[in-house]
Amino acid sequence: MQWITILKKELLEDWRNFKWIWVPLVFIIICIMDPLSTYYLPQILESVGGMPEGAVIEAPKMGPPEAIMLSLQEVSMLGLLVIVAISMAVIAGERKSGVAELVLVKPVSYFTYISAKWAAKLLLVFIAYLIGMLISWYYVNLLFGDLSVAQFTGLFLFYFIWLIFVVSLTIFYNTVVKIPGLVLTLTIVTIMAMSAINQIFSYRMPWFPNSISEHISGMLAEGTIPNELWGASAVTLGLSILLMVASNFILKTKEMAD
Amino acid sequence: MMLAPLIFIQFLLIVVAIIALLKTEQTNGPKAMWAVIIIFIGFIGPVLFFILGRRQY
Repeated sequence: MQWITILKKELLEDWRNFKWIWVPLVFIIICIMDPLSTYYLPQILESVGGMPEGAVIEAPKMGPPEAIMLSLQEVSMLGLLVIVAISMAVIAGERKSGVAELVLVKPVSYFTYISAKWAAKLLLVFIAYLIGMLISWYYVNLLFGDLSVAQFTGLFLFYFIWLIFVVSLTIFYNTVVKIPGLVLTLTIVTIMAMSAINQIFSYRMPWFPNSISEHISGMLAEGTIPNELWGASAVTLGLSILLMVASNFILKTKEMAD
Repeated sequence: MMLAPLIFIQFLLIVVAIIALLKTEQTNGPKAMWAVIIIFIGFIGPVLFFILGRRQY
């Protein structure tokens, strides 16, 4: 099947670019950095020295949910940047170099082309995020206390919906412009604007995509999945689908290379 | 010490980046510069190299 062929080509390319090695490694670092350094803060400060005599450093007391949310916060900053950076050229780069023309001159539909690339990037992001969060979960269990399987699975899957949206948004901008750096800028600016809107209107729009992580910490605190989380997830997924359909139409109307 | 895995992973990332640097024929800018960036700028260095250093497009 064509779709599988393009997916395989994409996965092979990512493998040859070392993406399948470095992206998971970077996600492991991003995910475990904060919980570890929070836990070891007293020891780290002590070994650095320069503290006044008799100063007692208390490690911030944290429950397992707060500790794993630290990982999620890092994923939402550095992780997001990495995700956008690895997918900023999936279509834009190929349009610039003319590879897209070579593929699309064959009877390959635009949707096959876009969605196969989308799936390939999402698979890479999923695996990297899964490995990073699993290791973070291991450390949280070890250092801060038990976090149940149900809590972890809920947090992991609901936040992945937000990551799906980020990948879809990047793909969308890939079809709008063909300079990878511009794709990165536009995506990050859009996400920042959305988060500003979310902060201003959060009480009126509890279902806004950016509020997913807020609702997740609510879920961890209360032990039940709040309705707002379902709502926000549905809206986020819907927007992702809309973005994919829109990219299909936009790519059709654009000329391929200069 | 529990921080050992973190240091090990950073080291692994640097090794992979150096291998990639040696295997890449053309980089954006001199290879020596990228070697310095990869080795000395924490884990951000290798990431910068993987994203910007390799001329793929």
